Amino acid sequence: MSEGPELNDAEAFAAEHALGVLNAAERAQAEARMAREPAFAAEVDAWRSRLAPLTQSVAAVPAPEGLWPRIERVLPANDNDDSVAVRGLRFWRGATVGSLGLAAASLAAAVFLANQPPSVIVQPAEAPGQLLNASLTTQDSAPVPLFVAAYDPTRKALIITSLVKPGQDPAHVHELWVIPSDGKPRALGFVEPGKSKAIPMSKELADSMAEGSAIAVSVEPPGGAPHPETGPSGPIAAVGKLAKI
Amino acid sequence: MAAATTPEALAQLMSRIATGDRGALRELYDATSAKLFGVCLRILSDREESEDVLQEVYVTIWRRADRFDSGRASVMTWVSTIARNRAIDRLRARGPLAYAEQVDTLEIADGAVGADTLLEAVDDERKLHGCLSELDDRTESVIRTAFFGGVTYEALGQRMDVPLGTVKSWIRRGLAKLKGCLER
Repeated sequence: MSEGPELNDAEAFAAEHALGVLNAAERAQAEARMAREPAFAAEVDAWRSRLAPLTQSVAAVPAPEGLWPRIERVLPANDNDDSVAVRGLRFWRGATVGSLGLAAASLAAAVFLANQPPSVIVQPAEAPGQLLNASLTTQDSAPVPLFVAAYDPTRKALIITSLVKPGQDPAHVHELWVIPSDGKPRALGFVEPGKSKAIPMSKELADSMAEGSAIAVSVEPPGGAPHPETGPSGPIAAVGKLAKI
Repeated sequence: MAAATTPEALAQLMSRIATGDRGALRELYDATSAKLFGVCLRILSDREESEDVLQEVYVTIWRRADRFDSGRASVMTWVSTIARNRAIDRLRARGPLAYAEQVDTLEIADGAVGADTLLEAVDDERKLHGCLSELDDRTESVIRTAFFGGVTYEALGQRMDVPLGTVKSWIRRGLAKLKGCLER
């Protein structure tokens, strides 16, 4: 065969990601890059399509009889009709959601920590506004809570508690986002693993907080998403919606 | 099972699934589960784990059906990619021991495709196999091993006892040739 043209760096990286030879840190980089560079994401897609026929050469093996009923039992309510808020977050690709860099390391810790619920400070009953609460979970078939958020209308603050074990992924930060009804993510700062903090909100943003507003945490390079006005750059670690307690 | 199998019929199923039609998911399951179960088994070599992963795969398809874009990939490509990624995630979750067990299984034999398979093969599959077979055996085998094993450059280098840079350049050159061949 004649020598093909050399792949340029971006193309080689995309091909390597599609093939699966990158290590965990590089995979996380590739995922983040897919999220912010459509051209790179298209390159990865193209390589996935080139390589996917390999799976077609695998012999088909009938799945066991009892499997469909098992699947049907665990089908969640189909969430495809979600509010604009959650849809706004769907910039990352369905096929790769299972391979987020963050997840594997932090999940075991989260499961462990989830057994030790954080104490969220609740306002006295005479507080005029209704406290809203959200559990932020991973978005897979067995959601795991990674963060707990509460919006306190009296203090106009969002109280966020991280259930992620500290020290798992020092190369990244967890950035907090709120997505009010307009669907645009607003950056609210960082959440340190294992810590709680109260984040004051501007009056305008505080006024837009309501039941159903989405809260999300993304995994970002140190310093946070490079262009917070356009939303997260890295994968979404967890998402939840505010609801009355 | 008489299941929908043309690409168009599968794509129509996807849009029904995206609106929450469980019957459509069942039809997709009938049409694709044997192939995807085969992919999971091929990667995991463990029936029980493959069943768990296959379950996750269909739940994922159910939840993400609205993101399927027929302009970007065929349904078979999309669902196979989900199955492969999920199975590889599971494989990696077993930890480094899983890699150690497989040290001797660099699979050149896998390149031999049966005549039946070739007859059934759709065009792009046949083309890919043709192009892979134009690579030298070692490069072809490394690419197949990486694809089905989720094996990183580091692990490939260790298995084959060659420096990481060498594996990297084999694979990069192989992929460049593959692309050139597929575009001919």
